[in-house]
Amino acid sequence: MRTFANLFGKSPFVPLQSHMRKVSECVDGLGELFQVFINEDHDSIGEIARKISKTEHEADLVKNDIRDHLPRGLFLPVDRGKLMEILSTQDEIADTAENIGVLCNLKKLPVPDSMKELFKEFCSKTTNCFQLSRGVIEELDELLESGFGGVEADKVRELVHAVAVKEHEVDICQRKLLKIVFESEDSLSHTQFYLWLRILAEIATISDLSENLADKVRTTLENK
Amino acid sequence: MEHADILWALAGIFGFYMAWNIGANDVANAMGTSVGSGALTLRRAVIVAAVLEFAGAFLAGSKVSDTVRKGILDADMFTGDPTPFICGMLAALLAAGAWLQIASYFGWPVSTTHSIVGAIIGFGVLYGGLEAVHWPKVWQIVASWVISPLLSATISYLTFKLLLRNIFYQKNPLEATKKLAPLLVFIVLTILTLTMVFKGLKNIDLDLELGPALLIAMTVGIVSAIITAVLVRRIKLKDHVESRSTHKIQYQEQSLQKARKHLRRLQDVSDPDTQEEIATLLKGAEDLGSRLEKERGPTDNPALNQVEKIFIYLQILSACFVAFAHGSNDVANAIGPLSAVLQTIEDGKVALKSTVAPEVLALGGLGIIIGLATWGWRVMETVGRRITELTPSRGFTAEFAAATTIVLATKLGLPISTTHTLVGAVVGVGLARGMGALNLNTVRDIAVSWVITVPAGAIFAMIFYKILMAFFG
Repeated sequence: MRTFANLFGKSPFVPLQSHMRKVSECVDGLGELFQVFINEDHDSIGEIARKISKTEHEADLVKNDIRDHLPRGLFLPVDRGKLMEILSTQDEIADTAENIGVLCNLKKLPVPDSMKELFKEFCSKTTNCFQLSRGVIEELDELLESGFGGVEADKVRELVHAVAVKEHEVDICQRKLLKIVFESEDSLSHTQFYLWLRILAEIATISDLSENLADKVRTTLENK
Repeated sequence: MEHADILWALAGIFGFYMAWNIGANDVANAMGTSVGSGALTLRRAVIVAAVLEFAGAFLAGSKVSDTVRKGILDADMFTGDPTPFICGMLAALLAAGAWLQIASYFGWPVSTTHSIVGAIIGFGVLYGGLEAVHWPKVWQIVASWVISPLLSATISYLTFKLLLRNIFYQKNPLEATKKLAPLLVFIVLTILTLTMVFKGLKNIDLDLELGPALLIAMTVGIVSAIITAVLVRRIKLKDHVESRSTHKIQYQEQSLQKARKHLRRLQDVSDPDTQEEIATLLKGAEDLGSRLEKERGPTDNPALNQVEKIFIYLQILSACFVAFAHGSNDVANAIGPLSAVLQTIEDGKVALKSTVAPEVLALGGLGIIIGLATWGWRVMETVGRRITELTPSRGFTAEFAAATTIVLATKLGLPISTTHTLVGAVVGVGLARGMGALNLNTVRDIAVSWVITVPAGAIFAMIFYKILMAFFG
């Protein structure tokens, strides 16, 4: 008799957004981390890194819950595979945030004065880029309401474009920073040099993944 | 005939029991969509269902009853003693009712229509072998079980595509809805009125040919469309906030966060006096933050919310349509066999040539209402709680498609499963990318329901027939 009620599965979009909020908490943690990293407040770095790692774990729990609630028989307005890709990209962002925390905490790494301003800009642009892509995910339920087309889709296309622009800005910043790192090879130890390369690469990964994520949402949109 | 009084009473009780089961279980599926989407409160849904189910059963319910009553079994088999026929129909009613109750106790997906058709076939085969069953009619009914979900899925898919193109893809969805709403009301009410007056209302002697019926239906449709147009014009976008994009909100949040961060940093490197001053500033920033958050409210698109608010009214309309259609098609499951029995007792021989008496239809309608009042509302509540994902626009589409399919089947005299038709309609919306998540295992459940219910109904009917014949035969 309850055949009809059984037809309605649990929509994965809201859990997907709540996962993204957890991921966002991780990236917010990164914002704090960058702050104390630049100020070379080494005690706080460890604490914040641990906090990020804990939030990443919470995000993982949400992720597993979503995966468990997507049985094969579920019919979704978005291709199942794409949805999984979106989820795993979000997950990668959280993982990357955790990695950055670990890298920054490995060793007391001073920030050379020549890098400070640029590094700050690099970090804030990275978090901005991520926040923009989070905005795309936040539009998902509105997209569902409007059938993945129309004005709502145009809005999402704009947002995706904004993410791409931001990602490009981050890239430019990263290039400049790399240049500084390579120029100051004499003043940096081998370890410091290597660590800087790793940290810069990891931070840039956040914006790359954000762009990726936004692009994946874009492919779900209805063609005009 | 012996035992006429007892048989007469038994027929009344079993028929009522079957109608009660329909009201208790099936109505919930038809009306649950409206409860789930919030278009109707539970109480209102029960009232609407009661009134329109009864109206549908009483006013338009006879055609399918005829099919259930005399279309499935071959008339030539029952020329002699009418007692086996009476017992068979009683057994069919009891079998379908009992099977339904067992199935709903265990939560199996079962259709009232399939149960009764299965039960009648079962009795027919036992009584006169395979030849007793009028197989062409049975195949027609079975075909309608396949076709009805497909048809309603097609209608709902097309309807939802229409809504997407004309409302949700528009620059101003609210204005677009206001333009489209009168047309939708026109379509729903024209079809509804047409099914009622075109060869429909025999019971109140309002039985028109196509021409006049169409005229009346169009008039009703146009008048209600005009009323709708006037009503929707009054609706204004209530909170006229520009639909602020989420990333702007995030930008606000972030900027404020940054401001606080910088203040804190300043605080760290200042002398005590300045520190206090900064602390006040920080507190001010925090207050500002919480105020902004309150002002912002939910980040939903207000235009789309308003669209759904208009669709709440449209969905109430389509819910009425479903209730009417459901009453007209499903009352037959109880009334068909019942009226066959009563007729046969009265005539003293197997009667196959008369119409269903209005009083009997009224009894069926009453049974449905009582089933709804005693148990159905609880099921409706459960169903409604499970389907909150369904917004009024989706609910309207699904209900409209299902109801149209059901009234069409009723006109053709085909007993179809309302639930399966509704499932088809919702899947149609899903195919048009309108639903968050549909559990397509339900389609498998429906297939299982087919395989189980018809034989189960048949076997139950055979057992009850043997028992009844032992008493009365």
